[in-house]
Amino acid sequence: MSEIVVRRLPAGFGSSASAADRKAGQRLARKFLAVDDGARPQAFWKETGKRFLENKVGVGATLFILLLAGAALIAPWIAPHDPLTGVATDRLQAPFSSGAHILGTDEQGRDLLSRIMYGGRLTLIAAFVPTIAATVIGTAIGITATMMGGWVQTVLMRGMDMLYAFPAVLLAIAVSASLGPSLANALIATSIVSVPPVARVAESATRRVVTKEYVEAAKLSGASPVKVATSQIIPNVLNDIVVYASGLVGVSMLIAASLSFLGLGALPPAPEWGFMLNSMRNSISIAMFNVMLPGFMIFLTSVCFNLASDALREATDSRL
Amino acid sequence: MVRLTVRRLLYSIPILIGVSVICFLLMNVLPGNAAAGLINDQMTEKEKYAAEQSMGLHDPLPVRYWSWLTKILSGDMGFSQQRHRDVAELLGQAWVNTFILAIVSAVVGVVAGMLLGYYAGTRRGRWADKVVSIFSLAGLSIPSFFLGIVLLSIFAGEMRLFPAGGAEFGVGIGPAIRSLVLPVATGSLVTAGITARVMRASMVDVMAADFIETLRAKGLSEWEVRKHAVRNAVAPVLTTSGVQLGYLLGGAVVVETIFRWPGMGTLTYNAIASRDLPVIQGSMLIVAFAFVLINLIVDIVQAAIDPRVRGTLL
Repeated sequence: MSEIVVRRLPAGFGSSASAADRKAGQRLARKFLAVDDGARPQAFWKETGKRFLENKVGVGATLFILLLAGAALIAPWIAPHDPLTGVATDRLQAPFSSGAHILGTDEQGRDLLSRIMYGGRLTLIAAFVPTIAATVIGTAIGITATMMGGWVQTVLMRGMDMLYAFPAVLLAIAVSASLGPSLANALIATSIVSVPPVARVAESATRRVVTKEYVEAAKLSGASPVKVATSQIIPNVLNDIVVYASGLVGVSMLIAASLSFLGLGALPPAPEWGFMLNSMRNSISIAMFNVMLPGFMIFLTSVCFNLASDALREATDSRL
Repeated sequence: MVRLTVRRLLYSIPILIGVSVICFLLMNVLPGNAAAGLINDQMTEKEKYAAEQSMGLHDPLPVRYWSWLTKILSGDMGFSQQRHRDVAELLGQAWVNTFILAIVSAVVGVVAGMLLGYYAGTRRGRWADKVVSIFSLAGLSIPSFFLGIVLLSIFAGEMRLFPAGGAEFGVGIGPAIRSLVLPVATGSLVTAGITARVMRASMVDVMAADFIETLRAKGLSEWEVRKHAVRNAVAPVLTTSGVQLGYLLGGAVVVETIFRWPGMGTLTYNAIASRDLPVIQGSMLIVAFAFVLINLIVDIVQAAIDPRVRGTLL
């Protein structure tokens, strides 16, 4: 009777060796994994997801964002009117006053509901594109700085400090003012502003991880720095960074909205919520609801992003 | 303590140089050309070249940076082609107004936020805590331009309690305060929301610490215990309050535009519309230098009142 050995080996077992070694390694792995005892590695994100779903407020906020994203996605089919052309005689109609325009019209007689729906696209782009770009770039900078150390770290992180020396909104305004007003430039400006804080979070998370035994083991087994970063460091710093980045979504949305309020975002007649508020604000005494609507939508969306981010933070923290 | 102050001061020098380099590069290297104001479509290629030459645009970058920096240090911030005035002269009247607004907003917001955060943090889970949490969330999420427009339309438009815009300094204290109320409310509500959040979290942490139990066991009154707790809880709030003041200075562009406040923000807004880059550059430089200085002061003050921070600074 031979004893059955149950031993789990990492999926990438022997991945840094030669092709022949890899084959031998895989054969050994198969041999030792003869019996599956049903034990699974603890799945961090699965557990987090479960806890997140228990948080009613967080789920509600996420549902609102999904609803908004859905409406923005299928706006061409469900929007009652063209968001860009209006009828001058229908200017600033009160909401619910006629069957044609449920949420009323803006200062050029364009249907507000349609504009809000189409504007949701720009808002969601402005919320997620800079956050994702900044997260990728900031993580790369933070990890590179900590792993390389020495002058590379000094140059990268002091460079981040210099960008940090500007208040975020002002730097975004200056960047997009010098690039010229357009949606793409506003997105670039918002991304640049979000990189330094992500890099700081990534740097401190990496510093905590980089001295751990498994990183040493990976280095000693001959893995290249890139391999160490992708297989050992990123999986262990990702949760800190993702939680931090989730808070940036709302921030970058607000910065982009401020830029477009100042006329530095998407060019008119694009239905950008921030710019809609600015172009209608002189009519506030005549049509308060119409003017408030885009501003209120920015506020509501931002609240939901923050609630979802808080829920995610709680869901991950409880593990610590 | 002295050593720390000196080191922190020395550390600010490369940061300030970096800030000036970023300001310079933003306005000189990116497509928006610094000579744009001098050049128009009717000019021949030769005239355009001469105009650019007169501004030194064909010199190598480091040379241009150096001549720009020496000019800035001697107080010359360039010339606004659109407004036909020196930038230093334009900003000289404006930055005082901007700083008055930002500092008053920061003080009101931070004090209110600390009180709210203290109140919520010592009543964790009760309805007062929930109300403060909702307030913080709203402060964190509301775009200041929306809040400004709402306040303006209610308190200046409907009720006519406060002026609809502008700063009324130099005609007595009453009008000055009245003109400050709405812009300060806009700025400080956001600040108060964020400060309350930080203060609450910090208070909750401290109240759960062991030394609080020790103090209670020693027979101190609840009031005395709270006094100890607040001293320990206030450190992270101090850090954020410096950042808050910086954000108020940066966000001034939005708030001042709405309230037609005669500060750097309004100047910058108008400069954006006419692509008047020297004005943007000038106000950016002033705010960034102030922000570095504010963070420097916050760090030193914090080290002075909280010995634990001294080790973590540099």
